[in-house]
Amino acid sequence: MYSTAHPREYPACSACSLCRLVCPMWRARRDPRFSAEGIAKARQNGVAAADLADVLDACALCGACDPVCPENIALTDMIVDLRRALELPADLAVLHVGYQQAAAGAAAAPAGALLLPGAALRADPALLARVEALLGLRSADDDGADLAVALEIGADIDPARKRRFLAAVEGRSLVVGDGLLLRELRRWLAPARLQGLGEALGNLPAVRRRIASADFYVIEARAYHADHARLVAHYDGLRKEIGCAMNLDLQRIAVPPLASGYPTLRMGPSAEDLAQARWMLHGHQPARILVENPAERELLRRVSGLPVLHLAELAAPNEVMHHA
Amino acid sequence: MEIPLVEPGTVGPCPVAPDALQGIKRQQTNPARWNGEGWPDFVLTLRAAGIEVAESAATRGIFATDAGGTAYGLPHGVVVARSADQVAALLKAAQAHRVPVTVRGGGLTTEGESIAYGGVLLDMTGMSRVLRIDADALTVRCEAGIYWHGLAEELRRAGLDYLSAPLNMTSSVGGTLGVGGIDVNSARLGCSADQALSLQVVTPTGEIVECSDSENAELFQRVILGYGQFGIITEATLKIRPYTPLSMHYYYYSTLREAIEDLQLLDSNDASDYSGILTIMDCAVNLLVAFDTAEREAAFKANWENKLRGHGEFGFALCMLGHYALRPWKAGEALYLLKRKQAVFPEFRRAEFHRDGRMDDRTVVFSRAVWKHWGSRNMVIPDLATSADKFIEAVERGNAVCRKYFRHYTLYCVGIKLRADHAPHYEMSCVPPGAEGWAYGCEFEPMIEGEVYSRDYFQSFKNAIYDIGVDMGASYYRFGGMMKGYIRRVFGDALVDRHLAMKRRADPAMILNRDVIF
Repeated sequence: MYSTAHPREYPACSACSLCRLVCPMWRARRDPRFSAEGIAKARQNGVAAADLADVLDACALCGACDPVCPENIALTDMIVDLRRALELPADLAVLHVGYQQAAAGAAAAPAGALLLPGAALRADPALLARVEALLGLRSADDDGADLAVALEIGADIDPARKRRFLAAVEGRSLVVGDGLLLRELRRWLAPARLQGLGEALGNLPAVRRRIASADFYVIEARAYHADHARLVAHYDGLRKEIGCAMNLDLQRIAVPPLASGYPTLRMGPSAEDLAQARWMLHGHQPARILVENPAERELLRRVSGLPVLHLAELAAPNEVMHHA
Repeated sequence: MEIPLVEPGTVGPCPVAPDALQGIKRQQTNPARWNGEGWPDFVLTLRAAGIEVAESAATRGIFATDAGGTAYGLPHGVVVARSADQVAALLKAAQAHRVPVTVRGGGLTTEGESIAYGGVLLDMTGMSRVLRIDADALTVRCEAGIYWHGLAEELRRAGLDYLSAPLNMTSSVGGTLGVGGIDVNSARLGCSADQALSLQVVTPTGEIVECSDSENAELFQRVILGYGQFGIITEATLKIRPYTPLSMHYYYYSTLREAIEDLQLLDSNDASDYSGILTIMDCAVNLLVAFDTAEREAAFKANWENKLRGHGEFGFALCMLGHYALRPWKAGEALYLLKRKQAVFPEFRRAEFHRDGRMDDRTVVFSRAVWKHWGSRNMVIPDLATSADKFIEAVERGNAVCRKYFRHYTLYCVGIKLRADHAPHYEMSCVPPGAEGWAYGCEFEPMIEGEVYSRDYFQSFKNAIYDIGVDMGASYYRFGGMMKGYIRRVFGDALVDRHLAMKRRADPAMILNRDVIF
């Protein structure tokens, strides 16, 4: 066995190609350069980040490669780090500044457990209100959306800003809507106090009992892969209990419907997203589709023609009893 | 010093140590790098035909080595296969410009067979789509660069499965059909190559030909188990079957002989659907037996289980306890067995891959375990393939070599049912000459465990295993690449020269996978 417990870096890549099997950008192109393995091998051969820009931009940061790597290489970290060495695209830099300004003017977080909704959920105020009511949580005005964007595009994170954000949320239980931010928060804070939005909603009996065996349940890939060893049991339990189909492949890796680079920052799905979503649903004939990530609803409606509901739309808020 | 001239394509006497290791002449270094003459014109020809040739370090570096990790080489450029027409154009240009073409699927060779020492590397994984599934006829047509796992992902959406494939998710269909492909159901269904009904092949001179047992049968015979010498498989039609999860049973032995005898008893009586042996050295020998249906499982339990001499897990643990209690000086070995058991066994029992006690995806379970607990940057896996009657001796002799060279190792043994009508396919392949009914294979895999061994040490180990094969009239799964020095000793000059003559007719410039066999 070559693997050790701690995450390792690209020199440990032995080119087993297991990451290719789960990589959306490889699936779209069938080109060995477009995979975590391709990037790791290029780095082993001294290739600079700038020469990998097209590959790095194509990665959806879905994190599927991390749990399948037998060498325990932190592949998503590798890609995020390499993006930091690239010049920021002007439109994304402007977007980042906008989020930073919003964070700077944010109100102080309310006391107690918090919801950090993230940009996709915040973009749908009605759904956000429903999620808050179901979970019995209040949203933090500063939900770290600027940090999530910085992670996504490879922008530097100001240490002072990071300290300010963490100081506001440290020691609380958090439900996090943005999978990429959740991934990073698991390192910055005690993981036991963190939950993804999908897991939190799926644990509510009022939501869970309305998931039907004829549903197709779409797990949010980033949050799932960030905590795969634990969540694989959570979703396996859900699948066994309900019998619904899920966007899991034979390795129990989530197939993300949004599969192109910067999936949460672009306007509208790309041709690659459409092809990936069709592949995700290929061979399934569900009555409806359930999503954890609100950003995936429109794409899946377009591809499937089926009703697509967010988990929070399954139950009425007054059905849920909350405990302080 | 006088160095004799050697005809290209043959293996001359080893000038390094001709009397070493029983005088077996061998090639233990990378082949010479091709000198690049004609490369620029070749690239111009391809680009004029609209074929992308990647010459950057970023792309070439991906293919610097194979799963073995002991041979290294870089192509001058890489072409990702996209269609049979593109592959045909590439081969025509390669013949004209005499540019070596190395074809790669999953890259899971261990002797450098899929490494390009110059020339063009053709990455077949660019052709990896399922083209048609015929659920009534139970066949699938797919591009040959597809990983077996990719094929399984598509088949399972239709409630179907392939018949047999290597227990490694990143083996490609084309690469497997070219060398054999062994699964734990091969004792019942034969090797993966025997599941192919027809192939689309691009010949070394660039003709696109469909072949099967009834159409262009001679080409079919040479391409199946042909180690990539007689054409590039671009599409394959394979038999498939309805998907079933399987129920797995494990029996534990403390001797190789008893486990192999019981394995062969089960195989020869068609008593199980899956069978194989996986060991921790020769101390804990695990005979795995599995079934597709409850009926087959019940028949086994009624008729065969009580004839097996293996123990259940608890009984075997008691045996081991007694064994090592009387041999306290072997406490280190006992601790290793315990540690290994604790690390590996849970991998085979992960809840997410089981439903109601039945295993959902055997290839995923085994492949994950293989990469996690056996994989490393050096994978040295010499093997012996023999007829059934010679197998126990071969394994015991190979085991003694493992004991001599490494502290820890694993043996993997499995039977392969042979098809009498496919005898021509088996010529000069991993199927040993003289085997009838079944052939048996054993892989001898040292556990590297972070240790550093020289390549020469690995090579000496492999030679010691391969010498057994020469001595016993066996064959090997991995006789190409760096081990091709054994080919003439095992198969004899007459057979090898006949194949060499066929190769020259098919591939006049000798450009296709030229460092693998000839």
